[in-house]
Amino acid sequence: MGAVIHARDVRKRYSHSTLALDGLNFDVAAGRIVGLMGPNGAGKTTALKAILGLTPFEGELQVLGHDPRTARDSLMKDVCFIADVAVLPKWLRVDHALDYVAGVHPKFDRARADEVLSHTDIKRKSKVGELSKGMITQLHLALIMAIDAKLLVLDEPTLGLDLLYRRSFYETLLNDYFDHERTILVTTHQVEEVENLLTDVLFISHGKIVLDSTVDALPSRFLQLVTSSDHVAAARALGPVYQREVFGRHAFVFDISKGGSPTADELTAWGEVRTPSISDLFVALMNGGQEGTR
Amino acid sequence: MNLKLMKTLLWRETWEHRGLIWAPLITAAVIVLTALLSTNFTGSVQFDLDGKERELFATLSTDFSHQRQLFAVWLGALVIPQMIVAMIVLVFYALDSLYNERKDRSILFWKSMPVSDAETVGSKLVTALLVVPLWVWIVSMIASLAVFAIVSLKLGGTPLAPLATFHTGTWLVLQLTMLQNVLVAALWYAPVVVYLLLMSVYAKRSPFLWAVLPPVLLIIFEEVAFNTSMIAGFISNRLFGFFRELDLHISSEDGSSSASMMQEIARSYEQLGTLDMLATTDLWLGVALAIVGFFVVVRLRRWRDDA
Repeated sequence: MGAVIHARDVRKRYSHSTLALDGLNFDVAAGRIVGLMGPNGAGKTTALKAILGLTPFEGELQVLGHDPRTARDSLMKDVCFIADVAVLPKWLRVDHALDYVAGVHPKFDRARADEVLSHTDIKRKSKVGELSKGMITQLHLALIMAIDAKLLVLDEPTLGLDLLYRRSFYETLLNDYFDHERTILVTTHQVEEVENLLTDVLFISHGKIVLDSTVDALPSRFLQLVTSSDHVAAARALGPVYQREVFGRHAFVFDISKGGSPTADELTAWGEVRTPSISDLFVALMNGGQEGTR
Repeated sequence: MNLKLMKTLLWRETWEHRGLIWAPLITAAVIVLTALLSTNFTGSVQFDLDGKERELFATLSTDFSHQRQLFAVWLGALVIPQMIVAMIVLVFYALDSLYNERKDRSILFWKSMPVSDAETVGSKLVTALLVVPLWVWIVSMIASLAVFAIVSLKLGGTPLAPLATFHTGTWLVLQLTMLQNVLVAALWYAPVVVYLLLMSVYAKRSPFLWAVLPPVLLIIFEEVAFNTSMIAGFISNRLFGFFRELDLHISSEDGSSSASMMQEIARSYEQLGTLDMLATTDLWLGVALAIVGFFVVVRLRRWRDDA
């Protein structure tokens, strides 16, 4: 099966400012859960908008084999997205929301949406404006989960939600939606929230992909050394990509795929070695080029 | 075009804009209520008719063709308040329809569904040009029956009784004429609605000002610079030309004879139909402009990226 998303040199410039997307190259295979992560303003949302055909861009981009610029309408039968929270209009009644999606979407299973909603406190005759932010997200998720789509795009889906809703959002998604055939692309800057969920990571910074890896491949590429202050100078000499100090302990992140970088055995001599978490890596790589500083 | 999809999109419009359904109903209720309140059923009603008027109604009671015409004109006139209310509601509907979805960012939800921009814009155009006018037509048809029932109860046995004779055939012809007017009006007003949709999809804020200011400024500019008013004439022809065709004036205050008043009424009745507008270049030029404008609106909605 071909790539679900295939991007080559995707560029996008907003008229007034710098490049929002500066030559994106990446592929997303089917059945993956990909985290597109980057700081605010890195180009996450612009990249998603390009994928969804919401914004014009230059370069080559295929989503499920279609160019989103020209084939958006048919593409949306197989692609779902939740853009941010609370984009459901306030005047829309819950039962009408179900009627609407049932009326326009050929792959919507109303019984499924009803079932998902029955596990919530949402009343059918309520208007979206009367629901809490968490409930609106539940409603949106219920609608989306009942659509048999191939690609689900989530843009900061839990922004502004409290912890309980955030956690149940991802749990529901993983347990009741994801089936290893569907593909999920999620952007967030709250990395901790999704790191146990992802199969792949794409880090984006200043409109460029700075890391494109499966989660499984990360241990063979990055190592984190945690050591005491005594060994700071020695560790620094080994060329870490990032370092930080927590409670008197020093953590160094090494990219061991680079030439001349230390091996795991060499690092073990200086302290405790493990695979950095995605959050650690995120911080490390987003501060890229600032080695040796705190 | 997928029929189930279009039906859903049209329902969607009425969910968002409840006024499209309610305004004609409320107007009809007000008309019926007015007829009811202006009537008392005690039977002791006094009519102060002068000789000329008595003569007129005496003539009417035996002259069925003129009776029918008068019947048609006063029932037809009931539609006027309905049309005015519907037009005001529709102007605001058209201006809001592509603006609100950007303002509340719900456009991101609508665009996450497999509905093309042409289908979306089309549903708004059909709502403004056909759904609401047809709804007004149905509501005013029922209201006319209610008002007639009230009036006939009131006027039975009075000198004005000829006015309260129900002419089924005339009533049916009148309803069909109104239906025909709705369809011709849809073509005539298509460029106006498309213009409002264009401002709605374009304006960053206040689509109302965007819609009103350019023509007003153009009119003023033309007046000042050339001392002419071609633009004003052009716009007022488009806005009110339809009603010039649909001339309902019955002017007989100048004491004209009952016979000439009858002729006046007869003429009005004949002019209720607007079918001959279909033969004017004006109408089809407007339709052509509307089609071009429609594609501009669709394109703007497709690529507008500020939600």
